[in-house]
Amino acid sequence: MISCINLKKNYRVGHTEKRVLKGVNLSIAPGDRIGLLGRNGAGKSTMIKLIGGVEMPTSGKVHREMTCSWPLGFNGGFQGSLTGYDNARFIARIYGKDYSEMRQFVEDFTELGRQLRMPVKTYSSGMRARLAFALSLAIEFDCYLIDEVILVGDKNFQEKCHYELFERRKDRAILLASHSMDSIKEFCNKSAVLQDGLLTEYDNVDEGLAIYQTL
Amino acid sequence: MQPVKKALQAWRIQQRVIVALMIRELTTRFGRENIGFLWIMAEPMLFAVLVGTMYSIMIGEQEHGVGVIAFVASGYIPLTVMRNSFGRIVSIFLVNGALLYHRQVRVLDFILVRFLIEMVGGMMAYLFVGTLLIAFDLFPVPAHIGFFLAGWSLYMLFVFSLCLVIAPLSEMSEVLEKLMPVTVYIAIPLSGTFNMVSWLAPAARDVVLWSPFVNGMEMMRYGLFGDAVRPYYNIWVPLGASAVLAVIGLALCRRVRRTLVVE
Repeated sequence: MISCINLKKNYRVGHTEKRVLKGVNLSIAPGDRIGLLGRNGAGKSTMIKLIGGVEMPTSGKVHREMTCSWPLGFNGGFQGSLTGYDNARFIARIYGKDYSEMRQFVEDFTELGRQLRMPVKTYSSGMRARLAFALSLAIEFDCYLIDEVILVGDKNFQEKCHYELFERRKDRAILLASHSMDSIKEFCNKSAVLQDGLLTEYDNVDEGLAIYQTL
Repeated sequence: MQPVKKALQAWRIQQRVIVALMIRELTTRFGRENIGFLWIMAEPMLFAVLVGTMYSIMIGEQEHGVGVIAFVASGYIPLTVMRNSFGRIVSIFLVNGALLYHRQVRVLDFILVRFLIEMVGGMMAYLFVGTLLIAFDLFPVPAHIGFFLAGWSLYMLFVFSLCLVIAPLSEMSEVLEKLMPVTVYIAIPLSGTFNMVSWLAPAARDVVLWSPFVNGMEMMRYGLFGDAVRPYYNIWVPLGASAVLAVIGLALCRRVRRTLVVE
């Protein structure tokens, strides 16, 4: 169970404060697959960063009673100047995971071959998405935080993600921020809509999507 | 029992993170080609030897009864560790931001890791330069190695606690980043790099002895040259100053982390 209690987040912009989240509550139970909806700038990424512990809330609390991945996105979580292998090695080290296993998994999952020996900054966004997923799937988490990234992959990658996340790890929780209604429909069983710094949870996907379309 | 167990586990995780960060830092900075991370000792070494040689040509081989090259090397190597640590610590939260995606990585780890790399590099350079110069009879075999190490530790402790303050401050104000190089050069006369306290007038002694660097440096010099020099020091100056700075630094780090924007 992960629960966010009255999360508020302000960003300083020059001399004024921009209030992005104004008291958000959300709980993620094991097995929940929540689609996070909202317009550009509504605070979806901020929300995911707070839950992942990347940034700290201005006030409020995040209680994590299950393990939770870092936010999967195009940047963050890995270092552009290092190679794919170096990043894998770093992550294996800080999460106390055996590197040879990690390497095997990353090679199989990403199918990037020799490209893994190149610095990550030379990767396309699809390749980054593959690497980000491979690295976090190699470490077992109870909850995966996914910020958009799932959508950029090709068909083969989407199928792999589907298998790894939704068949092999059926019992895990997922928070997926996305603008793609199709993927939310496909992957999620609950939805949450961010609007004006507040969040509304819906027990099914259709209701949330209907609200989202009216925004 | 529970809190002890928890603390132990947290410490193990931090250890893992620090090791991983050090390896990562060394590979990004020095790469895997040629002599790799041995480069870290090349710079202080060249500095010490070249400046030392220049000085000995300018002012002769001995000054106040100690070899000039040895004296300059003993002052310059700690100074390069100080200067490089400060230079590397500025904007460090921003530079390493991507790593904060992993919750077990703390901002303090960044500071500790960069400082440790500089310090270990400095120690290796010192060992190498010292051995080389001893072979040519240009450097004394340390008279009191314990004294030397105590002085080194105090000096480095103070550098580290300053790093704890500089890192968050550089995040709060960009002015600091511009001022940093200047202040380090102003610090040279106050760090004991070029002189012993005993060479100064009594009034000046009282002033420079308030500098934690000078106290550490005096101890190092006594440890090296033994009774050829007369050291002035008070270990409580570096210890006290470090404790105060560390408390301020930790509080600042905590504050800055709360509002840090990670890309």
